[in-house]
Amino acid sequence: MSADEAEKIAADWLAREDRGLTAEESDRMELWLDQSSLNRVAYLRLKSAWQRADRLAALKSPLAAKRETSPPRWHLKLAVAAALTLLAGGGAWLAWRPSEPSGQNYATRVGRLQAVRLADGTQVELNTNTRLHADVTDARRTVMLDSGEAYFDVVHDARRPFTVYAGNRRITDIGTKFSVFRNGDDVRVTVREGRVRVELLDQLGKPVVADAGHVVMTKGGETLVIEKSGSDIADDLSWRGGVLVFNQQTLAEAAEQFNRYNERQILVEGPARRIRIGGSFKADNVDVFVLLLHRGFGLSVNEQGGTIVVSR
Amino acid sequence: MADRPIDDWFMREVLPLEPMLTRFLQRNWRNEAEISDLRQEAYARVYEAAQRERPQLVKPFLFQITRNLMIDRLRRQSVVNLESMVDFDWLNVSDDKPSSEAYVAARQELRLLQAALDKLPPRCRQVVLLRKVEGLSQKEVAKHMGITIETVENQVAKGMRLLAQAMGSRRNAVTTEARRYNFFRKPRNVR
Repeated sequence: MSADEAEKIAADWLAREDRGLTAEESDRMELWLDQSSLNRVAYLRLKSAWQRADRLAALKSPLAAKRETSPPRWHLKLAVAAALTLLAGGGAWLAWRPSEPSGQNYATRVGRLQAVRLADGTQVELNTNTRLHADVTDARRTVMLDSGEAYFDVVHDARRPFTVYAGNRRITDIGTKFSVFRNGDDVRVTVREGRVRVELLDQLGKPVVADAGHVVMTKGGETLVIEKSGSDIADDLSWRGGVLVFNQQTLAEAAEQFNRYNERQILVEGPARRIRIGGSFKADNVDVFVLLLHRGFGLSVNEQGGTIVVSR
Repeated sequence: MADRPIDDWFMREVLPLEPMLTRFLQRNWRNEAEISDLRQEAYARVYEAAQRERPQLVKPFLFQITRNLMIDRLRRQSVVNLESMVDFDWLNVSDDKPSSEAYVAARQELRLLQAALDKLPPRCRQVVLLRKVEGLSQKEVAKHMGITIETVENQVAKGMRLLAQAMGSRRNAVTTEARRYNFFRKPRNVR
């Protein structure tokens, strides 16, 4: 029997097992498995894949879950919470009113990444220490980025533009892959594919349009668009694989990046702050990073109560 | 059912090496059509050997068995003589640094699964999605989609094969480790 035939029979048995075997079927399956190790390994291989697929449950659509479980009263609470979020976000938010309270909150802790799939199939990856609220309905697709950074791989839908609110900015995709970083009113949009529109909330209708390879940096009312190479964009997005890539950044900047991912903070003091470095590091491996600084630059490294002080 | 400890061992220790093993076979075996056969036979040999005695180091053991299997087949085919194996990539020894990337790979599991799910044919995809993502039973899936339970069962069988294939041939960081198991680095060991 070829591998292919054994695999086919194994798949049929497992599909029946997945549905529920009768005692008689169970006996017959055992007989088949005992016939040959080839049968058994084919069975185990598929069983393992099918078990691993259980993890797909993590993708369960939050909206579908809500529909099943939310009594109407809950909507009211959400509405109040949403209204409070809007107020906290500043006056400009008042322009945006949800017609029907819905959606789901997502958050990551320091050093964690999380991938979620929204009800429309759009994939969102949350970077470290990130909070966002996603609202996908038949009528609209909206994400509010409260803090942190997220990467969006948006399923195009001309009927429902995909909109991210971050600080005083509104980012609207025109079918694309992009990431948004927010720290207060500092917002940075990195476009990997396609095109996005970035608007100031109190000047809607005067958008900056950014294409693949563009990075839009905003602070307050100012907007800067810079163009980067594909590999620089890839470096900027390397956090998606848990990696930080540096290319001639100062040590102070690199430390700031590490500090986003770790409770243990690096503090670079004195002239060492201006040393420029390159390389790639696992975001959560502070120890290796400071060890290399010690070895490479002869910097002294002292850890005091959760803070690692690096100096000449 | 597979309740034997050896089965658990096999699923836990051997099967996760599949992407590495597949890549190794793809590099070193010219006939692509025979790769799944070879892989399965290697698995069966490992399984049988482990019934007698479990190997301490699973990876070298699996690759050793695979290598022997390849030699057996080449001899039987007697198309290729041993010298011609010099052409094969397995002589290009490279000692990769130990990668910490298995860690990243673990976090990519969900992403891999999702990519595999996305590649399924539409109907199959919907069945797997309802079964695994939404957690419906096969019966509920049948009701929801308005199809027979037999169709659901067939799509489940098809889906798990395609998922296993996609997960077993993924090309990512882990595969670089395959190069560390180039057992022909000492050709004199070949009898």
